[in-house]
Amino acid sequence: MRPYLTVAQKEIRDHVRDTRSLMSTAMYALMGPVVVMLVSFSRPVAEGGRPGLLLQMASVFALVAAFAGSMNVAMDAMAGERERRSLVPLLLNPVSRFDFVLGKWIAASLFGLGALALNLAGFLAALGLGAPGSLHALSGGVWLWVLAGLTPLVLLGSAIHLLVAAGSRTAKEAHSWLSMVVFAPMLVGMFLVFFPGWIGSWWFVAPVAGQQSLIARSIAGQPVLFVQGAVLAAVTVAASVPVLLGARRVLNRDDLLAG
Amino acid sequence: MQEGSHVIEVRNLRKRFGGVTAVNGISFAARNGKITGILGENGAGKTTTLALICGLLTPDAGSIRIDGAAGGGLETRRRIGALLDHQGLYPRLTARENIAYFGALQGLSAAALDRRVEHVLAALGLDRIADRRSEGFSQGERLKVALGRVLVHAPENLLLDEVTNGLDVPAVRSVRALLRGMRDDGHCIVFSSHVLEEVSSLCDDIVVISKGQVAAEGSPAVVCRETGTQTLEEAFVALTRTEKERPCVRI
Repeated sequence: MRPYLTVAQKEIRDHVRDTRSLMSTAMYALMGPVVVMLVSFSRPVAEGGRPGLLLQMASVFALVAAFAGSMNVAMDAMAGERERRSLVPLLLNPVSRFDFVLGKWIAASLFGLGALALNLAGFLAALGLGAPGSLHALSGGVWLWVLAGLTPLVLLGSAIHLLVAAGSRTAKEAHSWLSMVVFAPMLVGMFLVFFPGWIGSWWFVAPVAGQQSLIARSIAGQPVLFVQGAVLAAVTVAASVPVLLGARRVLNRDDLLAG
Repeated sequence: MQEGSHVIEVRNLRKRFGGVTAVNGISFAARNGKITGILGENGAGKTTTLALICGLLTPDAGSIRIDGAAGGGLETRRRIGALLDHQGLYPRLTARENIAYFGALQGLSAAALDRRVEHVLAALGLDRIADRRSEGFSQGERLKVALGRVLVHAPENLLLDEVTNGLDVPAVRSVRALLRGMRDDGHCIVFSSHVLEEVSSLCDDIVVISKGQVAAEGSPAVVCRETGTQTLEEAFVALTRTEKERPCVRI
């Protein structure tokens, strides 16, 4: 088995057993659907007030869920290694630093995808339970765009979490930084909900903002070309590469190993 | 393995961290079938030297040869089993899983991995706790699992940094017996410690490091003779001048 797959396998086995972290991730993933469902029952929306705005809010929650779903795993897989002093023994193995980063990224991304799937399942459930006229209008095609659009964002989010966590001495320090990092897609998403005109026709080359635009467009019934979605996915995944290389660079730092 | 031939050779090794010189031209050799003790006060450069030998850090200057090959790359880490810190177990993994993970990272095949993990668990007396998660292990149990991770790929050379620190007497005796057994099997063992009595009884050769440099090298008897002292403790004090620099203060 390739070394990075060995690392990924260990991280998955390890974090599947971390019940507290899984519960925390699940709660974050389901927060959006619960809030949107509650708002859908509020009088202005239930009476057909602004269902469009509600759907846009849902898209922001999905955006944040995609970005943040891997946070706990990435935090433990990097900052946790330093905190429990398992990083030095780990790096003494004949495996390149990039393989370690790659394996942890794969594992964190899988947990992130799980969180995204839970989030979207939550929205589907909210569709069934929500007030009439709120979320019912979404077709299967829209959900496909949401899933396809947000999956690359999971990969980028995982890479960013790993980079930040690699530079943190403890999981607590990493948590402080990552709480701020997760705020960024929320800010971008909410801004675009209220000021959609700010992003121009090149939306599909801008990760995070592009995903928000993709979802907003598909919800609004505006045409989204396959090539636009593909470019957005490629740009987002490509953006992960320098971030992962940055994480490898952090693992090469002497001060990280010498204390 | 040819007993007595040099297998770890360090020449003029230097390493700085910012403005601090941690290792300043260290040279020594460790042989197969011998336990070589690295002695030095806190901050003398022992751990940095070991980290450089096993390729964890890159030296600013100097050379390292392990079994005749240049050190520093991934191949070095296959030839060496290094235990620089025995705290870092994965608490949600069992003892067996902790050891197997490192064996897999060493590139052992599935069949070899199973065989080696069973062998190491039995050799270290870990059978009883093999399938328990490592959170809550005692210090001695943690050390044994950490040793298991180091030994799982049957390395020819062992680097151990203050492994007996904080262990109770039975655990210390168990570690010493293990090291003597490996020495008798022809392994090259480099062992750093603060405990002079332990070094004196366990090591065939010693290297005294002071302020990033080798202050003395040879068997304990040779080091005592060259410093004109009766015991290793007196020799250590003479070489590192610890008493002169840190006079006893009455409180």
